[in-house]
Amino acid sequence: MNAPKWLADRQLNFLVIVNLLVVIAATALSRGQFVNIDNLQSMGGQLPELGLLALGIMLSMISGNGGIDLSGVALANLSGMIAAQVLPMLVSADNSPALYTAIFTVVVVVIGVLGGLLNGVIIARLNLTPILCTLGTSLLFTGIAVVLSNGASVRVEYVDPLSDIGNGTFLQVPIALWIFVAAVLLLGWVLKRTPFGLRLYLMGTNPKAAFYAGIPRARMLILTYGMCGVLASLAGLISATHTSSAKWDYGNSYLLIAILIAVMGGVNPAGGYGRITCVFLAATVLQFLSSLFNLLGVSQFFGDCAWGFLLLASLALAGGERVRSIFGLGGAAPASKVPKKVG
Amino acid sequence: MKLTRIATALTAVALMAGAIAAAHAATNETIVTVVKVTGINWFNRMDEGVKEFAKDNPNINAYQTGPGRADAAQQLKIIEDLIAKKVTAIAVVPFDPPTLEPALKKAMDRGIKVVTHEADNEKNTMVDIEAFDNSAYGAGLNERLSKCMGGQGKWAVLVGSLGSRSQVQWADGGIDNAKAKYPKMDLVEPKLETNNDGEQAYQVAKEVLRKHPDLTGFQGSSSLDVIGIGRAVEEAGKVGKICVYGTGLPTEAGKFLESGAVNGIAFWDPKLAGLAMNKIAQMLIEGKTVENGADLGIVGYNKVTVSKGPGKGIIVRGTGWVDVDKTNYKQYSF
Repeated sequence: MNAPKWLADRQLNFLVIVNLLVVIAATALSRGQFVNIDNLQSMGGQLPELGLLALGIMLSMISGNGGIDLSGVALANLSGMIAAQVLPMLVSADNSPALYTAIFTVVVVVIGVLGGLLNGVIIARLNLTPILCTLGTSLLFTGIAVVLSNGASVRVEYVDPLSDIGNGTFLQVPIALWIFVAAVLLLGWVLKRTPFGLRLYLMGTNPKAAFYAGIPRARMLILTYGMCGVLASLAGLISATHTSSAKWDYGNSYLLIAILIAVMGGVNPAGGYGRITCVFLAATVLQFLSSLFNLLGVSQFFGDCAWGFLLLASLALAGGERVRSIFGLGGAAPASKVPKKVG
Repeated sequence: MKLTRIATALTAVALMAGAIAAAHAATNETIVTVVKVTGINWFNRMDEGVKEFAKDNPNINAYQTGPGRADAAQQLKIIEDLIAKKVTAIAVVPFDPPTLEPALKKAMDRGIKVVTHEADNEKNTMVDIEAFDNSAYGAGLNERLSKCMGGQGKWAVLVGSLGSRSQVQWADGGIDNAKAKYPKMDLVEPKLETNNDGEQAYQVAKEVLRKHPDLTGFQGSSSLDVIGIGRAVEEAGKVGKICVYGTGLPTEAGKFLESGAVNGIAFWDPKLAGLAMNKIAQMLIEGKTVENGADLGIVGYNKVTVSKGPGKGIIVRGTGWVDVDKTNYKQYSF
């Protein structure tokens, strides 16, 4: 294949084409209502919560060795809830709304970091399988949230700047979407341009080689899961401000969808490969589809069906190498990265 | 790149199918009913009411939607999409009322009429519809129980969860009724929790029977309570000796009504609630409000009680519960 380099990633091509197709079809089917500013803002406001959680899944998957962070949703809810309960004791919302918002954000992110580091330490130091560890911490975080709230919704005090994080817009673009895009850019830079990113991919591709190359496995894992925690807490910040409340079971269906986004974005669940652009595009296509079906009044079950179909289509397209690598049978790199013999 | 072509073609086909499924396109006025979760009996029955309303009002596009999974976040997304779609009215059965406050406020700010159901703590709504007054419902159940018990004997109350506002109100309504009218009834176990789980209800009922062998009455709250109690009563061989009343669904509790392990159930018909929500949404669109004592022309909502809600809106209460026993449960298909 002599295609230019930027056309070489089939996953990316597929996602770009599907995104375009969906947008064009949606605009036509809804008689332009789909690209109406209200609908665009509504979609932009809905995307970040799930998108941030998917980034967390992606990051943990890249780290390899069965890496996955199942505790994202639980940690998101817990961080929002603790902030909502602690803040009224620290700052008066009426007197200093800006300070209230700032401290709220800090508390949320700190809880996220702590939760993420807890995951990292358990996985790195106690050598627990990530799926078991994060399943356990997920139950732990949910449990704490239930106890703190008695199972009911916790109200987040209404302050204009705080509510703006989840509901406001800046230059017509939802602030939550700015946060998500910033997270995507920053994480993309970290993965691509820093030694940390390079080591993470190496570690995911071949843990043994990484060990002999002197990559500090424990520190890398703790850092990675810490970052997952931060991403989860940002999702928690957005959902808490968006709904003015925090509840232990909010977004309980997000976990599987976030995993779906990551896998549809071409992230290799076995570790070592994942492009953030693809994950971003996978998240947007799911959002486009779900909003389109709502606009048209089509059953949500049909939406689920379409998502499943897209995932299968993306797997079919990625070809044998990727499917094999998902089942742990082959190399981790996608087809384009493996030199082919042209016969 | 053959696979690319196949994949894109298939995607296009999927989208076209979606378009066909959405063939009933725009009319001027749209009322959308958003339920907690689609695909369960309760809300399928509500859908029948919404469909009936749509049939009776061909000039209004009325339909029901809801998340495929029981999750407040998914319901919120649907409502945000509907706001962007600029529907005329949204009738919603909130999964978790506080979660929807900002979204419903946004809807009302944009001139969309908002009606809620089973959410008497929702601030941002114009009209909240309750099928009945919760205390009166609990008292109604208790009245039937005490008749069966002859106004005396030991009895117990089960609730699905102490966090469920309406269930606790039903239980308290029953307990207060017995206290006021039947001093000889001895409440030995007030409000035992069953976690909205039939198996747990069975275990709890068994323990109660072990602790109080001379117990003669049970009042259940969650729709699964009577099923658990019925099983325990059957196993203990006390059918006919213990009176069991509670919330239940005819299809689920039918077996125990037949055997006599459960004497009677009560529920409200979600179909009628769906009709009432759409009817009130239509009234709001026409610029009318609901007056105290108004007749909505729907069974159980012939003389509604109107009171002030927690926000600017009002709460409309019907008397829409249905008492059912062995003789007539077969009339209801849900």
